[in-house]
Amino acid sequence: MNRYLSKDFLSGLMFVGFGVATLYFGQKLAIGTAVRMGPGYVPRMLSLILLGLGLLICVLSLINPGEQVEKPKWKPITLVTIGIVCFALLLERAGLFPALVVLILISSLAGEEFKLVEVIGNIVVLSILCIVVFKLGLGMNISVLQGVW
Amino acid sequence: MDLLHNLALGLGVAVSLQNLTYALLGCMVGTLIGVLPGIGPVATIAMLLPITFHLPPTASLIMLAGIYYGAQYGGSTTSILVNLPGEASSVVTCLDGYQMARNGRAGAALSISAVGSFFAGTVGTILIVLFAQPLTLMAQKFGPADYCSLMALGLIAAIVLASGSVTKAIAMVFLGLLFGLVGTDVNTGAQRYTFDIPELSDGIDFAPIAMGLFGIAEIVVNLERHLTRTGAIKVSSLWPTSDEIRRAIPAVLRGTTLGSVLGVLPGGGPTLGAFSAYTLEKKLSKTPQMFGKGAVEGVAAPEAANNAAAQTSFIPMLTLGIPSNAVMALMVGAMIIQGIQPGPEVMTKKPDLFWGMIVSMWIGNAMLVIINLPMIGMWVKLLTVPYRFLAPAILLFCCIGAYSLQNSTFHVMQVAVFGVLGYIFVRLGCEGAPFLLGLVLGPQMEEYFRRAMLLSRGDPMVFLERPISLGLLIATAALLVLMALPSVKKAREEAFQEEG
Repeated sequence: MNRYLSKDFLSGLMFVGFGVATLYFGQKLAIGTAVRMGPGYVPRMLSLILLGLGLLICVLSLINPGEQVEKPKWKPITLVTIGIVCFALLLERAGLFPALVVLILISSLAGEEFKLVEVIGNIVVLSILCIVVFKLGLGMNISVLQGVW
Repeated sequence: MDLLHNLALGLGVAVSLQNLTYALLGCMVGTLIGVLPGIGPVATIAMLLPITFHLPPTASLIMLAGIYYGAQYGGSTTSILVNLPGEASSVVTCLDGYQMARNGRAGAALSISAVGSFFAGTVGTILIVLFAQPLTLMAQKFGPADYCSLMALGLIAAIVLASGSVTKAIAMVFLGLLFGLVGTDVNTGAQRYTFDIPELSDGIDFAPIAMGLFGIAEIVVNLERHLTRTGAIKVSSLWPTSDEIRRAIPAVLRGTTLGSVLGVLPGGGPTLGAFSAYTLEKKLSKTPQMFGKGAVEGVAAPEAANNAAAQTSFIPMLTLGIPSNAVMALMVGAMIIQGIQPGPEVMTKKPDLFWGMIVSMWIGNAMLVIINLPMIGMWVKLLTVPYRFLAPAILLFCCIGAYSLQNSTFHVMQVAVFGVLGYIFVRLGCEGAPFLLGLVLGPQMEEYFRRAMLLSRGDPMVFLERPISLGLLIATAALLVLMALPSVKKAREEAFQEEG
């Protein structure tokens, strides 16, 4: 039982982190006065409160640790994120169809079972659906295959 | 007869072919995602937000509302037939609904829950009509300081009534408020936290955040868990016996009342309504030992309550512009996408949208009874679709939706970033809903705060001098003090223990 690995302690740290970051990146914003507030007044106020709350959560969690954080499974979150990023990179450069194929392939790998036939079926169904709904139905301005359609 | 005139106006808007179609579409999608475990109304509405951009405002809001209350109907179907709650709000329905089904009363349980839900939805809609005007008139008297305090009360109350750690939820609100500040400061034109990225100068778009936090994070969590499916119980006759009807009617009435009240409260909504109604029935019942073994009351009351609450939770959002839960926060987002500033002005400036939406909710409820009862077999079949087909499809819709916002892949990247953040939130036990509420209310709250301070020449006492503001702040403080009391804290923990 490691008290520093409780959900509460780590979330407290996260809030402190965000508070420090918003203070740091907001330091150039003018604070102004209470009557004529500058752009930095409210951000500074909120950052300080967040920082305070984060510290409070950390301290409280050390007194009463509560639930431990579960060991993260890296595969799903990593693959899903990679899938979305690939989609974003491919969409305008290569077109909707290649982007869609890559996204479905990568995200299907994130699950427990992977059967190629099923995934191909899924790709076929979803490409038809997307083309009909988004390209033909809503008339979105995207090319299905860059330079071809 | 102002009210009748308004309703007639609303009816005229709601029965136009276009709006009927979108109401039906919303109800179908809502039932669908209600039936499918692993995707809820919050994630769905977040996913569809960008698409609503292409629709007329009234149609898009009608559709989104349909998804929300449709999910309440769909969720109960799976609870009864396969003991799998499609939605958080139908978790309690499993307790007695599935037992009724095992006793061969599946049809009766389904029709009682559908008709009870319809009754509750009708009452909820009537309540919106009755309360909308007085509340709006009241809200128009509010000054900037009052508004600021009202939002503070709304945010705090939303946290207190939601489950989980209060301190963490408050911190999440502040984090949401900070994210809401990103972009160009309206008063001075200064760039805040934009890191010289031009896309950020208009602020972080609401839709990618909601999609990442709720859609992507939910998919990832579901992929980690192994979702198993069990076979559905066959449905026999849909007709309940006269004894069942006799026991269901008072339960539906009580559930509707409780649900309606809890729905209006910030942080309330369907889930809280359903749980409280179940507890109440068990306490009132002469045969509490029957609960958990197929008691009709245990199905009728929570089903009525969750639907009534789903309806009445629109009241604070439509009249005051204050969302009471995550779905309402998304509805506010949908309005902003359409260029409508939610608040008391909506009713006076856009009466057709306001009343049209309300009447369409009632029509939608009627549609749902028809969608759900005769077509039950079709929905049950959908349950057999494995999650490994759904996950890539949901992801794909999120990505295309995000791109379509402004035809920019920057938004798709945002979905990825907020997906990771949302996953971290889930793992650390921080809830996304308070973050979303803070994010939606942040810009407005800052605006009101600055205006109030300007009017009072920098004297923060203005928040205590105006009677409305003072009253609201006292209520906020009272809630916070209440939460800190050990006895209340314990009772709250126990109440939420029962849920889990």
